[in-house]
Amino acid sequence: MSGHLRRVNAEPRWLRALLLGVGLGFLFFFLALPLLAVFVEAFAAGWTAYAGALNDPETRSAIGLTLFVALFVLPFNIVFGVAAAWAIAKFDFRGKSLLITLIDLPFAVSPVVVGLVFLLIFGAQGLFGPWLSAHDIKVVFALPGIIIVTLFITSPFVARELIPLMQSQGKEEEEAALSLGAGAWQMFRRVTLPNIKWGLLYGVILANARAMGEFGAVSVVSGHIRGETNTLPLHVEILYNEYNAVGAFASASVLALLALVTLLAKTIVEWRMRRENSMLSADLPAEKT
Amino acid sequence: MSASRRQILPGFGLSLACTLAYLSLLILLPLSGLAFRASHLSPAEFWAIATGERALASYRVTFGASLLAATVNAFFGLIVAWILVRYSFPGKRAIDALVDLPFALPTAVAGITLATLYADNGWIGRYLEPLGVKVAFTPFGIVVALTFIGLPFVVRTLQPVIEDIEPEVEEAAASLGASRWQTLIRVLFPAIFPALLTGFTLAFSRSVGEYGSVIFIAGNMPLISEITPLLIISKLEQYDVVGATALAMVMLVISFVMLLAVNALQWWAANRHSECSPSMGARR
Amino acid sequence: MSIEIRAIGKRFGNFVALEDINLHIPTGELVALLGPSGCGKTTLLRIIAGMETADVGQVLFAGEETAHVHARDRKVGFVFQHYALFRHMSVFENVAFGLRVKARKVRPAEAEIHSRVMALLKLVQLDWLADRYPSQLSGGQRQRIALARALAVEPRVLLLDEPFGALDTQVRKELRRWLRRLHDEMQISSVFVTHDQEEALEVADRVVVMKQGRIEQIGSPDEVYSSPATPFVYQFLGNVNVFHSRVHGAWAEVAAERREDVPESAVTAFVRPHDIEIEHHPLTGGLEATVQEVHAIGPWVRVELAHASELIEVELTRERATILALAKGQQVWLKPRQIRVFAAPGKTMEEGGSGI
Repeated sequence: MSGHLRRVNAEPRWLRALLLGVGLGFLFFFLALPLLAVFVEAFAAGWTAYAGALNDPETRSAIGLTLFVALFVLPFNIVFGVAAAWAIAKFDFRGKSLLITLIDLPFAVSPVVVGLVFLLIFGAQGLFGPWLSAHDIKVVFALPGIIIVTLFITSPFVARELIPLMQSQGKEEEEAALSLGAGAWQMFRRVTLPNIKWGLLYGVILANARAMGEFGAVSVVSGHIRGETNTLPLHVEILYNEYNAVGAFASASVLALLALVTLLAKTIVEWRMRRENSMLSADLPAEKT
Repeated sequence: MSASRRQILPGFGLSLACTLAYLSLLILLPLSGLAFRASHLSPAEFWAIATGERALASYRVTFGASLLAATVNAFFGLIVAWILVRYSFPGKRAIDALVDLPFALPTAVAGITLATLYADNGWIGRYLEPLGVKVAFTPFGIVVALTFIGLPFVVRTLQPVIEDIEPEVEEAAASLGASRWQTLIRVLFPAIFPALLTGFTLAFSRSVGEYGSVIFIAGNMPLISEITPLLIISKLEQYDVVGATALAMVMLVISFVMLLAVNALQWWAANRHSECSPSMGARR
Repeated sequence: MSIEIRAIGKRFGNFVALEDINLHIPTGELVALLGPSGCGKTTLLRIIAGMETADVGQVLFAGEETAHVHARDRKVGFVFQHYALFRHMSVFENVAFGLRVKARKVRPAEAEIHSRVMALLKLVQLDWLADRYPSQLSGGQRQRIALARALAVEPRVLLLDEPFGALDTQVRKELRRWLRRLHDEMQISSVFVTHDQEEALEVADRVVVMKQGRIEQIGSPDEVYSSPATPFVYQFLGNVNVFHSRVHGAWAEVAAERREDVPESAVTAFVRPHDIEIEHHPLTGGLEATVQEVHAIGPWVRVELAHASELIEVELTRERATILALAKGQQVWLKPRQIRVFAAPGKTMEEGGSGI
């Protein structure tokens, strides 16, 4: 039917062409060209130079660290996200909107401020600094610091995705499961989880992209110790500042590839969610017209 | 925060306790730690740092560039969202997915790439240079980086709102004799406007705190192209933790304000024409 | 203004939405397009409004071809099923919209707009709501505002898509009568779409019954109800008992006087529940049945009877039911007051009224 609606609701041909030209041109210059540039610069000195840059031990250790941190924060984000969404979406309590705002807070705080906050707590002059150094525990300028700021930065993603999803699903299905004799765990495992699996995956994908790509906050607490506390984005910065363009862009290309995989996964998950939604509504009797 | 009535579903206490504990330990306590440290300063000292010459200049750069970038994004983002919802063209799905690139691409990668593109010998910079336009390593470069960062906020806020406009509303306007242009200006734009404002604010608030993508392209000249997050870092590097803390406190307060503004905007967008006091509810 | 629809056809992909539709609507008539969902009635309405284009055929307004007239220039007032009010505009601005978007030369002055809008709001009895927003109105109020908005441009034709579809029964009834009065005052041609037979029969001058993209019957409300042209119309307008003559040969014989060229099995008889008489004693040509259920529903008493394995529904007046004093399980005899027989494909054969 839409083809015919267009006749009444369509812009004049010239305006369409203009809008398409301006919109797509803008996307080309601001999104497509930078993406292309990453790979062109990475391969500027040829395939061997690219492979060599990636094979550098420091680069490999940066990749390893980034992967480790991302994997480490994953379960925390899932547990927190599901718990928060469960409490907020399925129950009514006072202060709920305040809690939602609080969950959003890490989105709003500048990454640099986040880094500084944990530096003030765990740093040498920080709140726990003397106690930590007395016990020879390193948090800041070490792996724990990187993990903590990454946890902070990525905490909203899963919850943010699940709350509206679970709110829209209501709680009748869970109540039905309980009334049929399911235990709490069975109810969650067999009813809730299948309903939210795509939303959960979606949130995890976004959180993961952020965990691997975080720069500002990690930069403050990492200490930039090569081969030890250098994540891949920090490694990119160091190489770039050393005028090692090929090295910087080779590492950047790994991150860009990761971004592309993220976009692809996100698109697939979105597609699946939409398909399941439309299948659900197709099951309902047709509305009278 | 207690459940108002007996709950049938299990796990309320557990899930809420988990959530509160996690938020408190990871977010609330650390942030109040910052406020605690800042409170060691006397108001006069705090004021002196927060309004120092370099600090004031950095606010100007940060907010000016963020405002400009959010405006650019509001304009182009509206067009992009419109064509993605309303028009069909080859490769639309891929382009739609690409809009999220700034969310997915690490900011450092965006930073070095944009800096390279807009440098005097870069793909774009080399065409701008003869025109006397310098982008990389000037405040203008900051605007470019922040435009990249903010674009998806505007587009993704607008898309569902444009999708939600019923075709009947436009048909109604047409059947009442409105031209397409009149329908766009009088019917569609007012419907989209709150979302546009929300997207603008989201892009702006993200831009204000942005660090990674900016520092590579900004040139980072104190008083000219130095953003506030960078000033915090450079104070830290000079072991001026007190100064860094004061500026961070300023940034944190601004983030709170922005967050409240976004919430208020969204509330307004949802309720602006449905405020309905009980006394007005006298319906026939 | 009269509307002439000539041989309109419309497909959506493989789906035939409309086929060979011919309809003449003289000036001042109120016509109902009646049919089940998916019968093409809304599509026809949208084609008249210029919001869809027909694949074949013509729509003429006052004898003039409209194919090249854009929806905005047709001077058609269209009321949408879900009203399509502009939610960011006040009630006043919604109604004023059509006047404000006129070209400067023909646009009324502000004072004129104000008085015309207020007059319309008075007409729909909602002038006290001028400053409200659509979301603050009830369904019936929105409906009337949508109507006032459509009338503001002084349309030559008023088109309404399921105008009462989203309202509750009470409001529906009230608005129906109100629409009828309004139509009579405005002296314009109106077409409305509905799937509710009661609504069509009560409000319209003429009813167009549609099925699967075709017109089944055009006639006055009385015609389509009392002499349906097809089994579909019979079944769509009111309750009906359907008898296949092999089982109920006796009745079919009474009605159809047996035709040799049509096999008995290919004949179907239709009787409305209130056209069946119940007697305690055997009748010639009567059908023996057992009382299953007796329900009193408002002014009627509905009796469900079983004949062999078939269920027959009969509606009696309360008076008659009191006289009969039916009880469950009782044996009675049924006789049709009016019966109509169709050959199975749907062509009428003979009509027989067997009076009592």
